[in-house]
Amino acid sequence: MTDELQLIDAAKAGSADAFAELVARYQGRLLRFLLTRCSSYADAEDALQDTLINAYRYLHSYDPRWRFSTWLYRIAIRNAQKSRSQNVIELGDLSDEQSDPLLQCIAASESENLWASARRLLNDEVFAAMWLRYAEDMSVNDISKALDRSVSWTKVNLLRGRRALDAELNAGGNESEAYG
Amino acid sequence: MDKLAKQLRLDAERIDTTVSAELEQRIVASLRAVTPRAEPGSDTGARLERRPAMFWWASSLTGIAAATAVIAIVNFQSRQADLAAPGVVASTSPVTIATTVPIIDWKTEYATLTGPLREELGNLQADIKKAEKKVRGDIGL
Repeated sequence: MTDELQLIDAAKAGSADAFAELVARYQGRLLRFLLTRCSSYADAEDALQDTLINAYRYLHSYDPRWRFSTWLYRIAIRNAQKSRSQNVIELGDLSDEQSDPLLQCIAASESENLWASARRLLNDEVFAAMWLRYAEDMSVNDISKALDRSVSWTKVNLLRGRRALDAELNAGGNESEAYG
Repeated sequence: MDKLAKQLRLDAERIDTTVSAELEQRIVASLRAVTPRAEPGSDTGARLERRPAMFWWASSLTGIAAATAVIAIVNFQSRQADLAAPGVVASTSPVTIATTVPIIDWKTEYATLTGPLREELGNLQADIKKAEKKVRGDIGL
Protein backbone atom coordinates (compact mmCIF):
# COMPACT_ATOMS: atom_id res chain seq x y z
CA MET A 1 0.00 0.00 0.00
CA THR A 2 2.80 2.40 0.98
CA ASP A 3 4.62 1.32 -2.12
CA GLU A 4 1.49 2.12 -4.10
CA LEU A 5 1.22 5.56 -2.51
CA GLN A 6 4.84 6.24 -3.37
CA LEU A 7 4.16 5.27 -6.96
CA ILE A 8 1.11 7.54 -7.03
CA ASP A 9 3.11 10.45 -5.60
CA ALA A 10 5.85 9.87 -8.16
CA ALA A 11 3.26 9.71 -10.96
CA LYS A 12 1.69 12.92 -9.68
CA ALA A 13 5.13 14.52 -9.80
CA GLY A 14 5.29 13.59 -13.48
CA SER A 15 6.97 10.17 -13.50
CA ALA A 16 5.52 8.22 -16.42
CA ASP A 17 7.40 5.10 -15.27
CA ALA A 18 5.63 5.17 -11.91
CA PHE A 19 2.27 5.36 -13.63
CA ALA A 20 3.28 2.58 -16.02
CA GLU A 21 3.99 0.42 -12.96
CA LEU A 22 0.50 1.19 -11.60
CA VAL A 23 -1.00 0.38 -14.98
CA ALA A 24 0.80 -2.97 -15.06
CA ARG A 25 -0.64 -3.81 -11.66
CA TYR A 26 -4.24 -3.05 -12.50
CA GLN A 27 -4.80 -3.46 -16.23
CA GLY A 28 -5.54 -7.21 -16.16
CA ARG A 29 -7.99 -6.95 -13.28
CA LEU A 30 -9.64 -3.89 -14.78
CA LEU A 31 -10.07 -5.56 -18.14
CA ARG A 32 -11.68 -8.59 -16.49
CA PHE A 33 -14.04 -6.30 -14.58
CA LEU A 34 -14.84 -4.26 -17.69
CA LEU A 35 -15.82 -7.44 -19.51
CA THR A 36 -18.63 -7.73 -16.99
CA ARG A 37 -19.83 -4.21 -17.79
CA CYS A 38 -19.31 -3.78 -21.54
CA SER A 39 -21.19 -5.28 -24.44
CA SER A 40 -18.15 -6.62 -26.32
CA TYR A 41 -14.49 -7.49 -25.80
CA ALA A 42 -13.43 -4.60 -28.03
CA ASP A 43 -15.55 -2.18 -25.99
CA ALA A 44 -13.98 -3.46 -22.78
CA GLU A 45 -10.51 -2.87 -24.25
CA ASP A 46 -11.47 0.65 -25.32
CA ALA A 47 -12.97 1.33 -21.90
CA LEU A 48 -9.75 0.10 -20.27
CA GLN A 49 -7.69 2.46 -22.39
CA ASP A 50 -10.01 5.38 -21.59
CA THR A 51 -9.96 4.52 -17.90
CA LEU A 52 -6.18 4.55 -17.72
CA ILE A 53 -5.93 7.77 -19.74
CA ASN A 54 -8.50 9.50 -17.50
CA ALA A 55 -6.76 8.24 -14.39
CA TYR A 56 -3.44 9.64 -15.61
CA ARG A 57 -4.97 12.92 -16.70
CA TYR A 58 -6.83 13.50 -13.44
CA LEU A 59 -4.33 11.91 -11.06
CA HIS A 60 -3.97 15.25 -9.26
CA SER A 61 -7.57 14.93 -8.09
CA TYR A 62 -7.01 11.50 -6.52
CA ASP A 63 -7.76 11.65 -2.82
CA PRO A 64 -5.48 9.27 -0.87
CA ARG A 65 -8.28 8.65 1.66
CA TRP A 66 -9.81 6.40 -1.02
CA ARG A 67 -8.10 3.18 -2.03
CA PHE A 68 -6.47 3.70 -5.41
CA SER A 69 -8.24 0.62 -6.77
CA THR A 70 -11.64 2.04 -5.69
CA TRP A 71 -10.90 5.28 -7.52
CA LEU A 72 -9.82 3.38 -10.64
CA TYR A 73 -12.89 1.15 -10.61
CA ARG A 74 -15.13 4.17 -10.28
CA ILE A 75 -13.58 5.68 -13.42
CA ALA A 76 -13.86 2.29 -15.14
CA ILE A 77 -17.56 2.00 -14.30
CA ARG A 78 -18.23 5.45 -15.75
CA ASN A 79 -16.36 4.64 -18.95
CA ALA A 80 -18.18 1.33 -19.33
CA GLN A 81 -21.52 3.11 -18.89
CA LYS A 82 -20.52 5.65 -21.51
CA SER A 83 -19.52 2.93 -23.97
CA ARG A 84 -22.76 1.03 -23.34
CA SER A 85 -24.98 4.05 -23.83
CA GLN A 86 -23.12 4.90 -27.07
CA ASN A 87 -23.75 1.36 -28.32
CA VAL A 88 -27.43 1.58 -27.45
CA ILE A 89 -27.70 4.82 -29.41
CA GLU A 90 -25.72 3.58 -32.41
CA LEU A 91 -26.55 -0.13 -32.65
CA GLY A 92 -29.48 -0.78 -30.31
CA ASP A 93 -29.33 -2.92 -27.18
CA LEU A 94 -26.90 -5.80 -27.68
CA SER A 95 -27.20 -7.29 -24.25
CA ASP A 96 -28.01 -10.89 -25.13
CA GLU A 97 -26.20 -13.93 -23.81
CA GLN A 98 -24.40 -14.81 -27.02
CA SER A 99 -22.72 -11.42 -27.31
CA ASP A 100 -21.84 -11.18 -23.60
CA PRO A 101 -18.02 -11.01 -23.58
CA LEU A 102 -17.75 -12.43 -20.07
CA LEU A 103 -19.84 -15.48 -20.95
CA GLN A 104 -17.77 -15.91 -24.10
CA CYS A 105 -14.57 -15.95 -22.04
CA ILE A 106 -16.09 -18.42 -19.60
CA ALA A 107 -17.27 -20.64 -22.43
CA ALA A 108 -13.76 -20.56 -23.91
CA SER A 109 -12.31 -21.94 -20.69
CA GLU A 110 -14.61 -24.98 -21.05
CA SER A 111 -15.26 -25.39 -17.34
CA GLU A 112 -18.19 -24.60 -15.07
CA ASN A 113 -18.05 -21.17 -13.58
CA LEU A 114 -20.25 -19.72 -10.88
CA TRP A 115 -19.97 -16.27 -12.45
CA ALA A 116 -21.92 -17.54 -15.44
CA SER A 117 -24.76 -18.40 -13.08
CA ALA A 118 -24.35 -15.02 -11.40
CA ARG A 119 -24.72 -13.39 -14.79
CA ARG A 120 -27.97 -15.25 -15.34
CA LEU A 121 -29.40 -14.72 -11.85
CA LEU A 122 -28.35 -11.21 -10.87
CA ASN A 123 -28.94 -7.84 -12.39
CA ASP A 124 -25.98 -5.71 -13.52
CA GLU A 125 -25.59 -3.66 -10.37
CA VAL A 126 -25.83 -6.61 -7.98
CA PHE A 127 -23.46 -8.54 -10.21
CA ALA A 128 -20.96 -5.66 -10.08
CA ALA A 129 -21.24 -5.48 -6.29
CA MET A 130 -20.67 -9.23 -6.00
CA TRP A 131 -17.73 -9.05 -8.40
CA LEU A 132 -16.05 -6.25 -6.49
CA ARG A 133 -16.61 -8.07 -3.21
CA TYR A 134 -15.55 -11.59 -4.14
CA ALA A 135 -13.29 -11.23 -7.16
CA GLU A 136 -11.61 -7.97 -6.16
CA ASP A 137 -11.85 -8.40 -2.38
CA MET A 138 -13.15 -4.86 -1.84
CA SER A 139 -14.75 -3.75 1.41
CA VAL A 140 -18.44 -2.86 1.51
CA ASN A 141 -17.54 0.82 1.93
CA ASP A 142 -15.28 0.78 -1.11
CA ILE A 143 -17.91 -1.00 -3.18
CA SER A 144 -20.53 1.59 -2.25
CA LYS A 145 -18.12 4.36 -3.25
CA ALA A 146 -17.18 2.68 -6.53
CA LEU A 147 -20.81 2.04 -7.48
CA ASP A 148 -22.00 5.36 -6.07
CA ARG A 149 -24.56 3.61 -3.88
CA SER A 150 -25.31 3.73 -0.18
CA VAL A 151 -23.63 1.32 2.19
CA SER A 152 -26.98 -0.16 3.14
CA TRP A 153 -27.90 -0.74 -0.53
CA THR A 154 -24.58 -2.51 -1.00
CA LYS A 155 -25.04 -4.71 2.07
CA VAL A 156 -28.60 -5.67 1.18
CA ASN A 157 -27.76 -6.48 -2.43
CA LEU A 158 -24.65 -8.43 -1.53
CA LEU A 159 -26.81 -10.51 0.75
CA ARG A 160 -29.40 -11.04 -1.99
CA GLY A 161 -26.68 -11.99 -4.46
CA ARG A 162 -25.16 -14.40 -1.98
CA ARG A 163 -28.49 -16.06 -1.29
CA ALA A 164 -29.19 -16.53 -4.99
CA LEU A 165 -25.74 -17.96 -5.65
CA ASP A 166 -25.77 -20.09 -2.51
CA ALA A 167 -28.95 -21.70 -3.73
CA GLU A 168 -27.38 -22.23 -7.14
CA LEU A 169 -24.17 -23.61 -5.64
CA ASN A 170 -26.04 -26.05 -3.40
CA ALA A 171 -28.26 -27.16 -6.25
CA GLY A 172 -25.20 -27.66 -8.47
CA GLY A 173 -23.32 -29.41 -5.65
CA ASN A 174 -26.16 -31.83 -5.08
CA GLU A 175 -26.39 -32.68 -8.74
CA SER A 176 -22.85 -33.04 -9.91
CA GLU A 177 -20.42 -31.54 -7.38
CA ALA A 178 -19.41 -29.22 -10.20
CA TYR A 179 -18.56 -26.28 -7.95
CA GLY A 180 -17.28 -28.17 -4.92
CA MET B 1 -13.62 -17.40 3.83
CA ASP B 2 -16.71 -19.53 3.21
CA LYS B 3 -17.32 -21.99 0.41
CA LEU B 4 -19.18 -19.55 -1.84
CA ALA B 5 -16.60 -16.77 -1.48
CA LYS B 6 -13.77 -19.22 -2.22
CA GLN B 7 -15.56 -20.57 -5.25
CA LEU B 8 -16.31 -17.10 -6.59
CA ARG B 9 -12.71 -16.05 -6.18
CA LEU B 10 -11.38 -19.18 -7.88
CA ASP B 11 -13.86 -18.87 -10.71
CA ALA B 12 -12.99 -15.21 -11.25
CA GLU B 13 -9.31 -16.10 -11.50
CA ARG B 14 -10.12 -18.81 -14.00
CA ILE B 15 -11.65 -16.32 -16.43
CA ASP B 16 -8.88 -15.87 -18.95
CA THR B 17 -8.38 -12.24 -19.86
CA THR B 18 -4.92 -11.23 -20.84
CA VAL B 19 -4.12 -7.77 -22.03
CA SER B 20 -2.77 -8.33 -25.51
CA ALA B 21 0.57 -6.86 -26.54
CA GLU B 22 -1.24 -4.74 -29.09
CA LEU B 23 -3.56 -3.26 -26.48
CA GLU B 24 -0.64 -2.65 -24.15
CA GLN B 25 1.18 -0.75 -26.90
CA ARG B 26 -1.96 1.23 -27.62
CA ILE B 27 -2.28 2.16 -23.96
CA VAL B 28 1.38 3.14 -23.64
CA ALA B 29 1.16 5.26 -26.79
CA SER B 30 -1.99 7.03 -25.66
CA LEU B 31 -0.55 7.66 -22.21
CA ARG B 32 2.52 9.24 -23.80
CA ALA B 33 0.26 11.59 -25.72
CA VAL B 34 -1.51 12.71 -22.54
CA THR B 35 -0.16 15.33 -20.23
CA PRO B 36 -1.53 15.10 -16.70
CA ARG B 37 -3.44 18.19 -15.63
CA ALA B 38 -1.61 20.23 -13.04
CA GLU B 39 -3.11 20.65 -9.61
CA PRO B 40 -5.24 23.81 -9.67
CA GLY B 41 -3.22 26.72 -8.36
CA SER B 42 0.03 24.78 -8.09
CA ASP B 43 1.56 26.53 -11.09
CA THR B 44 0.76 29.98 -9.72
CA GLY B 45 2.13 28.94 -6.34
CA ALA B 46 5.39 27.74 -7.85
CA ARG B 47 5.77 30.94 -9.84
CA LEU B 48 5.17 33.05 -6.74
CA GLU B 49 7.70 31.01 -4.79
CA ARG B 50 10.34 31.59 -7.46
CA ARG B 51 10.25 35.36 -6.99
CA PRO B 52 13.13 36.78 -4.89
CA ALA B 53 12.62 38.36 -1.45
CA MET B 54 13.69 41.73 -2.83
CA PHE B 55 10.61 41.70 -5.04
CA TRP B 56 8.32 41.50 -1.99
CA TRP B 57 10.23 44.30 -0.17
CA ALA B 58 10.15 46.53 -3.23
CA SER B 59 6.42 46.00 -3.83
CA SER B 60 5.60 46.62 -0.14
CA LEU B 61 7.64 49.85 -0.05
CA THR B 62 6.05 51.05 -3.30
CA GLY B 63 2.60 50.46 -1.83
CA ILE B 64 3.38 52.32 1.38
CA ALA B 65 4.92 55.26 -0.53
CA ALA B 66 1.89 55.51 -2.83
CA ALA B 67 -0.53 55.47 0.11
CA THR B 68 1.47 58.18 1.95
CA ALA B 69 1.53 60.35 -1.16
CA VAL B 70 -2.25 60.08 -1.63
CA ILE B 71 -2.92 60.95 2.04
CA ALA B 72 -0.57 63.94 1.87
CA ILE B 73 -2.15 65.28 -1.34
CA VAL B 74 -5.69 64.94 0.02
CA ASN B 75 -4.76 66.71 3.28
CA PHE B 76 -2.95 69.51 1.47
CA GLN B 77 -5.88 70.12 -0.90
CA SER B 78 -8.47 70.26 1.90
CA ARG B 79 -6.32 72.74 3.85
CA GLN B 80 -5.99 74.96 0.73
CA ALA B 81 -9.79 74.88 0.29
CA ASP B 82 -10.31 75.90 3.94
CA LEU B 83 -7.98 78.88 3.53
CA ALA B 84 -9.59 80.01 0.27
CA ALA B 85 -13.18 80.15 1.61
CA PRO B 86 -13.10 81.36 5.22
CA GLY B 87 -16.24 81.40 7.39
CA VAL B 88 -19.14 80.71 5.04
CA VAL B 89 -22.35 81.41 7.02
CA ALA B 90 -25.69 79.91 6.14
CA SER B 91 -27.92 82.52 4.51
CA THR B 92 -31.26 80.87 5.33
CA SER B 93 -32.99 80.93 8.67
CA PRO B 94 -33.54 77.68 10.54
CA VAL B 95 -36.87 75.98 10.09
CA THR B 96 -38.75 74.13 12.83
CA ILE B 97 -38.90 70.63 11.60
CA ALA B 98 -41.85 69.68 13.83
CA THR B 99 -44.16 72.00 11.89
CA THR B 100 -43.12 70.71 8.51
CA VAL B 101 -43.60 67.04 9.28
CA PRO B 102 -47.20 66.04 8.46
CA ILE B 103 -49.12 64.28 11.19
CA ILE B 104 -50.23 60.91 10.00
CA ASP B 105 -53.58 59.74 11.24
CA TRP B 106 -52.81 56.11 11.95
CA LYS B 107 -55.95 53.98 12.14
CA THR B 108 -54.94 51.49 14.73
CA GLU B 109 -56.75 48.80 16.59
CA TYR B 110 -55.56 46.93 19.64
CA ALA B 111 -54.76 43.35 19.05
CA THR B 112 -57.24 41.07 20.72
CA LEU B 113 -55.28 37.94 20.32
CA THR B 114 -54.80 37.41 24.05
CA GLY B 115 -58.54 37.88 24.80
CA PRO B 116 -59.58 34.22 24.65
CA LEU B 117 -56.61 33.23 26.74
CA ARG B 118 -57.48 35.76 29.42
CA GLU B 119 -61.05 34.47 29.46
CA GLU B 120 -59.81 30.90 29.79
CA LEU B 121 -57.53 31.93 32.64
CA GLY B 122 -60.48 33.61 34.43
CA ASN B 123 -62.57 30.44 34.05
CA LEU B 124 -59.79 28.29 35.42
CA GLN B 125 -59.29 30.59 38.40
CA ALA B 126 -63.04 30.48 39.13
CA ASP B 127 -62.95 26.67 38.94
CA ILE B 128 -60.06 26.57 41.38
CA LYS B 129 -61.91 28.84 43.81
CA LYS B 130 -65.02 26.65 43.58
CA ALA B 131 -62.99 23.49 44.17
CA GLU B 132 -61.20 25.12 47.11
CA LYS B 133 -64.53 26.13 48.64
CA LYS B 134 -65.90 22.62 48.25
CA VAL B 135 -62.83 21.05 49.86
CA ARG B 136 -63.00 23.53 52.75
CA GLY B 137 -66.70 22.67 53.21
CA ASP B 138 -65.95 18.92 53.11
CA ILE B 139 -63.26 19.08 55.75
CA GLY B 140 -65.35 21.44 57.92
CA LEU B 141 -63.22 24.54 57.84
